[in-house]
Order: sequence, then structure tokens, then C-alpha cells
Amino acid sequence: MSRMYHELPVDAYTSWEWYQREQDRIFSRVWRYAGFAEDISEPGQYISVQAGANNILIVMGRDHRLRAFHNICRHRGTQLLRATGKAQRAVTCPYHDWTYDLEGCLIAVPNAEREYPSGIDKSQLGLKAASVDIWRGMLFVHPDPPERSPSLAEWFGAVDPHLGPVQPAELTEIPAQRTSMEVKANWKILVENYVDVYHLSHLHSATLDMYDHAKAEYGWHGSHYAFWEPLVAMDGDRHDNGGRGGSGDHGAWVPMLFPGIGFATSDSEWSTYIITPLAPDLTRVESRTKRVSKSTWNSLWSEWPSTRGRPEGQKAKVGKKEAEGRDDPLASGNFIAEDNYVCEQQQKSMTSPFFEVGPAAQGESPVVNHQRVVLSFLK
Amino acid sequence: MSLTLHSLTVADARPEIGGEAKSIEFDIPPALGAEFNWKAGQHVTISVHLKGREYRRSYSITNPPGESLRVTVKRVRNGMVSNHLVDLLQTGDHVDVTRPYGEFILQPAPQGQRTHYFFGAGSGITPLYAMARTVLRDEPFSYAHLILGNTDRQRILFYEEAQRLHRRHSNRCTVRHILSSPRFLDGAAAWRKGRIDLDALKSLFSETPPVAQDVHYWICGPASMNDDLSRALGMLDVPGSRIHSESYGYATPHAIDVAGVDSTGSVTLDGHRTALAVSAQQTLLQAARQAGLQPPFSCESGVCGACRARLHSGEAHHRRQMALDERDVARGYVLTCQAVPASPAFDLTYDV
Repeated sequence: MSRMYHELPVDAYTSWEWYQREQDRIFSRVWRYAGFAEDISEPGQYISVQAGANNILIVMGRDHRLRAFHNICRHRGTQLLRATGKAQRAVTCPYHDWTYDLEGCLIAVPNAEREYPSGIDKSQLGLKAASVDIWRGMLFVHPDPPERSPSLAEWFGAVDPHLGPVQPAELTEIPAQRTSMEVKANWKILVENYVDVYHLSHLHSATLDMYDHAKAEYGWHGSHYAFWEPLVAMDGDRHDNGGRGGSGDHGAWVPMLFPGIGFATSDSEWSTYIITPLAPDLTRVESRTKRVSKSTWNSLWSEWPSTRGRPEGQKAKVGKKEAEGRDDPLASGNFIAEDNYVCEQQQKSMTSPFFEVGPAAQGESPVVNHQRVVLSFLK
Repeated sequence: MSLTLHSLTVADARPEIGGEAKSIEFDIPPALGAEFNWKAGQHVTISVHLKGREYRRSYSITNPPGESLRVTVKRVRNGMVSNHLVDLLQTGDHVDVTRPYGEFILQPAPQGQRTHYFFGAGSGITPLYAMARTVLRDEPFSYAHLILGNTDRQRILFYEEAQRLHRRHSNRCTVRHILSSPRFLDGAAAWRKGRIDLDALKSLFSETPPVAQDVHYWICGPASMNDDLSRALGMLDVPGSRIHSESYGYATPHAIDVAGVDSTGSVTLDGHRTALAVSAQQTLLQAARQAGLQPPFSCESGVCGACRARLHSGEAHHRRQMALDERDVARGYVLTCQAVPASPAFDLTYDV
């Protein structure tokens, strides 16, 4: 009998077979995050996104409408467009110059009379359509054409009211806060850590202590997880301003939408935390942050601290004396470094024959539930 | 099509735009409820007898499905029926009306996130207004933008109603008025002066761009406006499948292929000038190659621009012109693989 890790076998975190199943049945079949809406802001701009097994290109026409296609030439399958770019009125494959218009129709096959003496039916060789839609100012892609893809609004509809008041479309990106890192752990380990409420007071006892974890409100809405917690009340009236009232204000919303689409948002910020599996034990995490414009920010800054935590190194889980060298993540004072560290340590143990999971705590119920969500997609 | 007439009672008849139009609401008896179900965009035919003769006219329903059946009739100059209805029809009158019908339909997608642009000229607003209200009521994630062309502020049907619609849904509904002959003090009401043309479309799409992918363009106006607007949308890459249009009274077939005229002229290539005859069925490129010339070309689809040349005189129409922008066209550039002559004489040069 295979060893279990709550609801899933340990294999689910270590084997290529599970990795492949998840790629096929989850990441290649659902709406995937593709960026902020302003990533494609003018006609001719395009981006391409890897969504599970599918590479999907999004391009804006002169009508400012977005189109999505599978980034595959219908001739020999060459990828048509590279990651990002500009000034496309038509898409030409670099291999044999087959050219498609922005509706995906094949419009030019060079030397067609000579190369295809018996003719070629261009009408059957259009690009395969995919879907693109926008939700809360963010782009999402789906591998099915628009008439067959599920509604994005419906997919996120139930969780939407639990994500706080901020609309990312109204914020400005802080380019310096754009990061991409690879973590040596299975993607589910990262998600489970993200939704683990129990660890907040412990691993992050020094880095996220401005939040009142005991007052956290969290739960599942379909396949998506929502989480909110208030700031620690410091002096009675300080956060009771502006007449906006209600427990929903002035805290942090930290939802994890499925699969691996994390956000962290306050009244003034919106960060994305996008988890992409690269191998059973390797995961890419891409993060971007948007913030209210500077003038608004200055007035908010005096009111409450950032969700980003304290300046690095100010306070840490492990003191300078106990730190294992200068790079010890537990001495970094950075909660992301703390998270990544425990995820990698956990992944290492999963290959040990002595690994055995202990009972899940109350604050770990979201961990177990995420495993159930994963299972529901693999049935 | 033969449609049964039902005698309906006028529940309300009120003048619009200073008596130039009239909105008429009908009582639908419960027994006819099913037959008088409609979809946004459909119309009814009204039959009236005047001076011993029967006249039939179709009018768009201006309320969304589920509300009262309302049509809005605008006076047509010398129009027997419209003037009769606007002048004389009163609450309590009986009118012979067919069930709603028509193929110009907006079927709501409640879970969809769509962007609808509604382009109407004059009374063309009537089906579009029902559609826009349907979108705002039945598609909670969708956007509705009304772009209305009229001569002046006084002629705008549903001006106040449309303003209220915008105020009630200000985050997903805009209303724009384009006035062709604005009067003094009309300025505040007008978004632009003139017609709904390519420039207006460009401003529209950059001011209120569509959200993502699922975009629909609804046009209702005289046939010439529908053709012009469809062509202008096409220049901005809007695919025909997303354009839905209805013209007043009758439909016009779309010119799918561009025909040329027999033409003779000269072509300059590498400094040599050659006389050239082009038949109505030929592109300039085909004629040049047939004459033994070797002009540059590549994709033969109007995409790459390799066959670009310039007309010093004469005119040409394009089948497709992706590799040119409007400024190039204005300066006489043509894509010879797509251009057919439109004038009996021309002077073309590849040396540009």
C-alpha cells in the first residue's frame, strides 16, 4: 500500500506519473493566469503563455479586441510567436512563411502553385482558436475556443466577493517587485503552505506578526480558497477611520485560486503569486505587485503597514547568533524566504522511507481540502 | 411571410422629441402572452387602414423582453402611416399588430463577459435600445456602449432615458452622441460632430476599449451607413462574423468581392516605363506579370507589402490591404496583388 500524505499518496508529490496526470487533467484544461490586462495595451501587441501542455498566444487587433490562438503553425507545428512583442497585423511562421491574419485564417502559403500543384485548402488550415478573458484586470487563457470554454466570470464568481475591495486595474505596477524564482518542491507543497493557517503564528512569528491570525476568516468556494485576517489592533481608533467600517476593511486578503493562482491584497496593494509546476520536485513562482498611485499611497502609508511585512532583516525567526551563515532564510526576516525554505525541506523528506505525515491540525484543514480539490480533477 | 394580425389595445401613447415621434405601449391579453414573447431586436408589423387601403409597417420593439410591448414611431416625411400614428393614435385605441419577429436578435449570455457596441442613426436606436437594456439587465458581467448619430440634439430619441441608463450602470455603459448639424448650445450633448466614421471608431475603441475577446458590433441605420460602418470596422480588423446589422425597411446584399473596370495606363519598374492594359477581372500585379514584367511580390495576399506601388494618377480598389495603413492609402500607395483598377486610366510606379 502506498504511503499517504493526508488525502494523497506521497507519490503525488514525487512521481513523474502524477506530474503528467496533473498537467493533462488540470493545468492543460482550466483557465490559466496570463498576466495583467495592461500587458497587451495597444493594437499589434502580443504575449504567449504556457498553460500546461498548451502554448497560447494572445494578440490585440486594430479594433483593440483580444484574440487567442494555439501558438502552433498548422503546417509543421512550429511555434509562431515568441514570448512578447509588438506590431503584428498578421502572424507569419518563421519556418516557411505561412501567414495567418488576426482571425487565425491562413491567408498566405508562399509559392503555393509550385509547392502544392494539386492545390491546398487554406480554409481548413486556420490557427486553432483558444479563449482569453479578463477578470479583475487580469488576463486568463483557456485552451478551448470561446464557444466551448466555460465562463471565466462563473469560474471565479463564487470566490470573487471574498477577495477584498481592490480592483487591480486601478493600481500601478511596481516593476522592481517583479520576481521569478524556482523552488525545489512540488507545486502542491507550495499551495499547501500558502493555505496553511496554523504556520502563520509560528514560522512567521517575527515576519507577519502585524496580523491578528486568531481572527482570520477563511474557507473554500468551489475549487478556490479565500482568506482574510485583520491587522493587530494597536491603538483603539487607529484603524477605525474613513467610515468604511466592517470587519472586511484594513486587513490582508490572501486567497489561493485553483490551480496555484495566489493573490495577496490589502486596501492599497495587489500582488500575484503564480505557481507553475516544472517537475515533480520543481516549481516556478512568479510574483508581481501593483499599488495605488503615489499620492494615494502616501496618505495610506501613514495609516497602516504594508502587507509585505517589515523591512528585511529588521526582525527574524532565528536571531543573528543562531543563524547558519549569512544566507540562512530563517534569519532573513523575509516571510517568502521562510516559506520557500520549509517547502524545500519538506520535499526532501518525502523520498525518505521513514516519512510519515502527522495528524492535520484545525488550521491545516485547507491543506487537506486542497488535496481533495486536486483529486476531484483527476477522477 | 404570412403573420396573423391581432387587435391590441393601446395602453399608453406618449409623444417623444417634441411630437416628432410617439412611443406606443400595447396591452397583451394573457391568452396572447406566449405569442407575443420577443427577443431584443425584433419588431412587429402594424396594419392600418387609411382611405380604404391597408398599409403595413414594421416597428422595432423598444423595451427588453418581459416588460411592456412598446414601439416607437418616428415621423417619416410624407409617411402615410408614421404621421397617422404619431398624430392620431391615443390610449385606448385598437391596432392590428402581428407577433414579434425578425432575425436581428441579441440573445443574452448571462455568464458571459461581452462588450457590445451599438451604432444607431436616427430611429435606428429603437432595436438597439431594447438590446442595450437587455444586456445591462441580463448580462451582469457585460458592457454596453451606445453610439448614436443624429442631426441635432432635438432629434435624439430616448436622450434622457439613455442618460439614465448610463448613470445607473456607469461602470459598464456609455452613451455617445454624434451630431451632423448641431444647433447652437448642442455642444454639451455631442461627443463629436459629423458622422460615425473611421476616426470616430478609433476614438471610441481607445476611449472605451472592448474587454478581452467576446465583442459584438450592432448597427442599425440606413443601408448606406451600415455598409460604410461595416467597411470602416473591417479596416480595424473587425471580422464580419461579429458585425450584426439591420437597415431600415430593407436589406442590402454585401459587396463581398471588389470588381474592377477595364483600364489602360503605364507602369514604371526599374526606371522603365511600359504601357499596360488591365482587364476588370485582373489585379495590377497579374496584368504586369502577364505583360512580361517582373515586379516584386511575395505573399499575394495583401499582407507582406512586397508588391507595393504608387498611383500617380487613376484609382484602384483593394480586396485586402493589411500591409497598408490609411495614410498610405491616402498617399496613393497600392498593393498591386490586391488592387483592381477603378478608373479607365492610370499611371503606376513600383519605383517608390
